[in-house]
Amino acid sequence: MGIFLCDCGGSLKNIDFPKISGDLEKLEDVAFIDISHSLCLEEGEKAITSRILSENINRVVIAACSAELREHKFVRLLEELRFNPSLLSLANIREQCSWTCEGDVTEKATELIRMAIGKARLLQPVERKNVPVNREVLVLGGGFAGMKSALELSRLGIRTTIVERKSTLGGKLKEVEGFYGLETSLKQMLDSMITAIEKDNNIEVLTSAEVTRVRGEVGDFDITIGGGRREFSLSFGAIIFATGYRTEILPQDFELKPGGNIISQLDLVEMLRAPEKLKRRPETIGFVLDVCDENSRLPTLSSLNNVLAVREKLGSEVYVFCKNLKVDSEGAEELYREARNRGVVFLKFDEPPQIYREDGRVTIKAKDVLLGEEVVLLCDLLVAEERALPPEGTKGLSSMLNIGTDSQGFYQDENVHLYPAASARKGVLFVGGCRGNLDLGRALTDIASAVMGSYSLLALGEAVVEVEKVRVDPEKCRACLTCIRACPHGAIQLLRVNTEKEVAQISDLACDGCGVCAAVCPAKAINFEGYSDEQILAEVETIGG
Amino acid sequence: MSMGTDNKIIAFCCEKSAYLAADRAGRMRLYYPDNVRIIRVPCAGRVDALHMLRAFEKGAAGVLVMGCQEGACQHLTGNLRAKERVRYTASLLEEVGMDGARVKMVNLGPDMAQKFVRVVKDMAEKIKER
Repeated sequence: MGIFLCDCGGSLKNIDFPKISGDLEKLEDVAFIDISHSLCLEEGEKAITSRILSENINRVVIAACSAELREHKFVRLLEELRFNPSLLSLANIREQCSWTCEGDVTEKATELIRMAIGKARLLQPVERKNVPVNREVLVLGGGFAGMKSALELSRLGIRTTIVERKSTLGGKLKEVEGFYGLETSLKQMLDSMITAIEKDNNIEVLTSAEVTRVRGEVGDFDITIGGGRREFSLSFGAIIFATGYRTEILPQDFELKPGGNIISQLDLVEMLRAPEKLKRRPETIGFVLDVCDENSRLPTLSSLNNVLAVREKLGSEVYVFCKNLKVDSEGAEELYREARNRGVVFLKFDEPPQIYREDGRVTIKAKDVLLGEEVVLLCDLLVAEERALPPEGTKGLSSMLNIGTDSQGFYQDENVHLYPAASARKGVLFVGGCRGNLDLGRALTDIASAVMGSYSLLALGEAVVEVEKVRVDPEKCRACLTCIRACPHGAIQLLRVNTEKEVAQISDLACDGCGVCAAVCPAKAINFEGYSDEQILAEVETIGG
Repeated sequence: MSMGTDNKIIAFCCEKSAYLAADRAGRMRLYYPDNVRIIRVPCAGRVDALHMLRAFEKGAAGVLVMGCQEGACQHLTGNLRAKERVRYTASLLEEVGMDGARVKMVNLGPDMAQKFVRVVKDMAEKIKER
C-alpha cells in the first residue's frame, strides 16, 4: 500500500505531517509514505506516477483535499498508469479536518487516514469495459416536442422511431388557431416539420400505434408496439417521452355544464376556422381564466392567442376575466399588450366570478379589483377555462416503466438531481407538455437537454460500465424480490439460472450506484464494491482506536 | 479538546449533499467540534441499521445519518429509507436502555454548511449532557 499526503502547499499548518508519517510507518502493509506540497499540480502528479511505477503496490491512499475537487483527476491519472482506480481510497484532511478547527488536528487527521487505510485494505479491483448499446431512440408522441426531438437527433445521426397514437402527426399544434408572436404561421411550421420528417431517412413514423409493453433497460429496451391488428417488438437504446397533455373543462371547476354558449377553446378554434358557417356572429365573447388553477401557463397562452384571433376574424367585443394572468412565457407579455391595444378588456377579480345562463346568453358577474365595483357582463359566448391534464395512458406507461408521476399526474417530479428532462431510469427522458405546464419555449429547452442526454449515452454505440461493481451473490440470493422493488432505477431483474433457481441480476449500465439494494437485501447477498458492508464497517471500526 | 474513544460522533454523509455541505463548512471556516468523523456514502439509503449499531458497539457517542432534502434525493426514496432505518435503530437503542436521540436523521442540501455545523454542534452538546 502506498500513501500520499498533501499539505496543500504547506498551508495546513495545524497538522503535523512528519508525526503522521512516523505513526503510519509502523503499519505492516504500508510500503511508503510520501509527503507532497501539491498533489493537484503537475509536479504532484509526476511524483505519484514515478512512485506507482517504481514501487510494487496494490492499494493507494491519498490524503488531501475534498473528493469533490480531485477524485476524478486522481482516477484519471491512475487509469493512465493502468492502476485500477477502484483500489484508491481518499481521506479528506483539508475541508473536513484542517479547516474545521483552529487548534492542532494531527490526531484527527491520523484517524481519517487510518479510516481510509482500513477501507483500502478491503478494496477489490473493479474491471471497466465497454458494452454495446443500441443507437436507436424511440420517441413517444408526434406533437411538436416529439417531432422536434426526432429531427434534432437525426441531425446528429441518430435514428429514431416516432410512435403516435393518432393517425397523423401534429398533436396540439393542430388545435391552435393562429399563433401570434411568431414570424411564420403555425400551419407553415407544422407543414415544414412534417415534410422534413417524411424526407428524413433517419426517422420512421408509426401512426395509430401505441406502446403496449416495455422490457429491458437502457441501451437495450425491448418495446412492443401495438396498433390495429398488428403487434411487433422493436429494440431501442433510449426512450424520449413527448406525449404532451390534454385539456378539459372540469365539471367541478364551473357550476354550469359546458355546451350551448359555454364552450371550450377547441370549440372556439373550430368556429374561427370556418366563421362563414356561423348562423350569427357573436357580438360579445367572455373568457374566464385563473378560476381553477392560478398557475395557468398553457390556458393563458392559448386564450391570449385565441383572443387575438377572435378580434381579427370575428371582430367581436372581448372581455377576459382573470386573476393573475400568468404571462411568464416568452412573448406572452407582448401578446397581452397586443390584445389590449386591439381593444380587449381585461377585468381582474379576486373572488371567482358568478356565471349564469339567461335567455340564451351568459351573464358573468364579478367584482373588479381595480374598479372596486361589481361588473355584470352579458355575453353571447363564454369560453371557459380548461385545465392542462396528463394525457390518457400516462398511468399505464408509468407503471410499465416503474416511473412515478407528480401530484397532478404528470411525469417527472421536479427533482433537483434529475431536472429537467432525465428520469430515475437511465435512458428514459421526458420533454414538453407531458412534464406539466410547459410552453413551446420551455419545451425547446427540454428537447435540447433530452437530445444531448440521449446522444451522449448512445452516440458511440457503446458505453463504459464498471463490471459487477454492485453484484448479487447467486448462492445467497433467495429471489425474494426485495431489491427489485426497492431499486429506484429499475436496474434489477430476475434471471433464471436453471429450472429450479432464479436470482436477481443487476444491470451494470442501468445501475446508478446508490446502494439501496445492498442495504435492503435481507440475505446480505448484494455486494457494493467500494461501499460494501465490510468496507463501511472497516471505517467505523477504525474510529477511536 | 479531548480525543477519547467515547465521545465520537459518526456522520454518514451522502456524497451528493451532506458530504458537500461539510466541505463547504470547511471552506467557510465554520469551526465545529473535532470529534466528528465523516463516512462518505453514495446515498443515505445505503446506510444500514447494522452500520449505525456497530458504531455504538465500538463506543461512538452519537450517530448522524445525513442525506438530501426530502423530495430531492437523486435515488428518489433513499433518504426516506434512511429516515425509517434511523427510527428503527433509535427504537433498538431505547430497548437496550440507551437514549434514542443519540442517532439522528438529518436532511440538508449541498449548500447548507451552516445547518451541517448546527446539527453537529447540537449532537456534540447532547452527548456531553450524559
